Amino acid sequence: MSSQVDPTTAPGEPTRKGRRPSPRIAQLKRTWYFLRRNTLAMIGLSVLVLIALIAVYAALTPLSWLQMTNYCSTNYGPGNSASGWYNSPNQSYGDFNDQAEQGCSQYVCTYEVVPPPNADKFCGNLWYKIPYQAQTKVSYPSAIAPTINVGTLNPGPLPLGALATSVDESTSFFNLYEGLLRGSDWSLIISVSIVGIGALMGMLVGAVAGFWGGAVDDALMRAVDIFLSIPVLLFVLVLVSVLSTDVHQVVLFGYKLISATWTPLFIMIVGFALTWWPFYARLVRGQVLVVREQKFVEAARASGAGKGRILLRHIIPNSVYPVFIQFSLDVGTIPLLIGGLVFLGFAPALLPNPYFPEWGTISALSVFDIQTIETSFGVGFGVFPWWQLFFPGLALFMYAVSVNLLSDGLRDALDPRLRR
Amino acid sequence: MRMTTYVARRAILLIPTIVGVMTITFVLISSLPTTFQLTASFGPPPIHYQCGYQKTCPCSELGEGLGGSCPNPLYNRDVDKLGLDQPIPVQYAGYLVRAFTFQWGTVDNYSEVGDTYQFAKGQPVSTLLEEILPYTLELAMISLAIILAIAIPLGNLSAVYRNRPIDQASRVVSFSGFAIPPFLLGTLTVFGVFYMILPHTGFLVRTPWCGQGEPLIDEITGSWPQKDCFTGAVSLATGCPSWLSACQVSKPTGFPTIDAVYHGYYWMAADSLIRMILPAVVIAYGSVATLLRFVRNSMLEVMNLDYVRTARAKGVPESRVISRHAGRNSLNVTITVLGLTFAFFLGGFQVIEDVFQLQGIGRALALAVYPGFYDFGVIFGTTLLFTYIVVTANIIVDVLYAYLDPRVRLG
Repeated sequence: MSSQVDPTTAPGEPTRKGRRPSPRIAQLKRTWYFLRRNTLAMIGLSVLVLIALIAVYAALTPLSWLQMTNYCSTNYGPGNSASGWYNSPNQSYGDFNDQAEQGCSQYVCTYEVVPPPNADKFCGNLWYKIPYQAQTKVSYPSAIAPTINVGTLNPGPLPLGALATSVDESTSFFNLYEGLLRGSDWSLIISVSIVGIGALMGMLVGAVAGFWGGAVDDALMRAVDIFLSIPVLLFVLVLVSVLSTDVHQVVLFGYKLISATWTPLFIMIVGFALTWWPFYARLVRGQVLVVREQKFVEAARASGAGKGRILLRHIIPNSVYPVFIQFSLDVGTIPLLIGGLVFLGFAPALLPNPYFPEWGTISALSVFDIQTIETSFGVGFGVFPWWQLFFPGLALFMYAVSVNLLSDGLRDALDPRLRR
Repeated sequence: MRMTTYVARRAILLIPTIVGVMTITFVLISSLPTTFQLTASFGPPPIHYQCGYQKTCPCSELGEGLGGSCPNPLYNRDVDKLGLDQPIPVQYAGYLVRAFTFQWGTVDNYSEVGDTYQFAKGQPVSTLLEEILPYTLELAMISLAIILAIAIPLGNLSAVYRNRPIDQASRVVSFSGFAIPPFLLGTLTVFGVFYMILPHTGFLVRTPWCGQGEPLIDEITGSWPQKDCFTGAVSLATGCPSWLSACQVSKPTGFPTIDAVYHGYYWMAADSLIRMILPAVVIAYGSVATLLRFVRNSMLEVMNLDYVRTARAKGVPESRVISRHAGRNSLNVTITVLGLTFAFFLGGFQVIEDVFQLQGIGRALALAVYPGFYDFGVIFGTTLLFTYIVVTANIIVDVLYAYLDPRVRLG
């Protein structure tokens, strides 16, 4: 990478020799050229590619070394939570037996030392709890991460293999390595789908509202106000309980699209996306109000461009940069938001199971474990499993920062005024 | 369009917004099983009564013959009282009328909200909201002030020194707030600051107007007036002045800090402010990155425009170019984000209020929507309140927008 920039020799620019490439390809090449010169953006891009590769690896790898537990009949909760782990006030908290049968695929509800090959397609890859049989007692709380006896269990490659932590003291471990691995694809899928759907909807609505003005603007902005005013928590939680109380699956034309395990998760994603778009709509509208008054729009109109063309080719590309920023910021926030809901105790209503491997959820679970102890300095907090918090937090941090670096770089590469 | 006309028009447009919000809320809530509403109002059905609040009941259960199903007397009796037996359009009309006439119902007797906010149990929702809204507002104001004080100067600096060390440093510091979950930072602050550091300094934990003894968690994390004010027991035991324990103080504004100043209790005002500042710092640390990025990017956008170059060419000092020419014109995106942040804040404080035991609106809402333990009165009231606040914030943002950028036409 040379340090000098000479835009006249950048790819895509007409040169004396050779044919000029087609404009779109040229644009792409030029963008890639300027993006490549931006070291930070390339770092962000490579970290994202790494995370994506890990996510693909996690999705393709079955839990081969894990023994499948009969988690469907543990008293912590069933594999599905379509109706919540406790769905009526009459029901006592400890009684899940009647719900244990429903919702989980037959493969996982049985004791299997070696899981069937397709187990991870159902409940298997939701689960990273492993049976407690390696040793009698993990000394917890302790100052260091407990290591598990590898006599019977392969803890995964070192050093992450040591990241096991005991949650409910006598029965089981978390395997943090497995949790992080499984968490990579869930965190990516959930955050990108929520923010992506929201940003697309909001961008279109905001651009149309700002460009057309008048009654269209008023109507669309009232819709924005309505969705901004409904509290997110209320909307998502009530939506999940309404839609998944009676119908435990989403069926379309006789095909079971989403099985019971996924229903609340799916509805949660849709619910969050529906409450997310107004932010983007208002952002884009504010930008469009400025852009539509500028000279190049007038020029386009004077040269006979239709409204649709002006909107799609001139206005949206020039007012999209707040969307880039907001998108890159929001994507990192989603796992923390879900972690916050878990912390408040809403996990039974939203997540397929109590140990759902998602980075925010894993870190929220670690805060549950903080114990108060009496020290010589007064009342303090006990040693809590920092590794359970640090590594998901590190993953989240790398994810959020790399998305932001990449979006900053893209913005600079796409905007001719900022290329230097 | 003139400013007053515009504001009046927007105020009238509040009506369709409220109708829309109420419609969505009504559809959501009336889709829930009736059991939830009955349980919230009348408590759980008797334990050994098999039929609960179901509509029908096996006749054998009621001791009337052997087969068939009979209407459940419990269901019929209680459904009447709530008006749930009326047709849906009638219920919907009643819902809308209550929304516009400020009859927001009462806090349910058998809900988590009633248990947590004892003083409001069975009282009108407006009583509860009057009491707790100022806490959330004060928290939101303080955290917004902190965010603004950090984001605008730092954002401008990172734009001016783009891709230099100060830009990278501000990026990393603000983004570390992203990776640290608020529930963790809050918990660590509570445990670390309140339990480990402050007992030695004697400040905050032992409030100067209370007696000796072991500090209690309510006494430590509550704000003014303290939580035990509503019961009186703890304060009496620790020998606090009677006006505190019995809560016999007037609250002209409801804002804890301002009221303490009004009564002349400056120690208490400082104390209350500091109790608010810790959660506010936690909130600001987590969300300063958003505004910082927006300020930086809109500043970058503006600094490449022609008039900035002209100003530089004229020989205007760089500091004045940044503060007057570029700075002011980069504010419009900032204002939009700020309006949105404020709206988001009021609904998004559940975690922080839960950790710091503040009696704000976010916590009340989180308790009211707990699945299976819904409090319909509180849901109704808080949703309406959010609507009013969000719409007002939007109007203010739009007016400011037009004020800052004359090219923007109102209307």
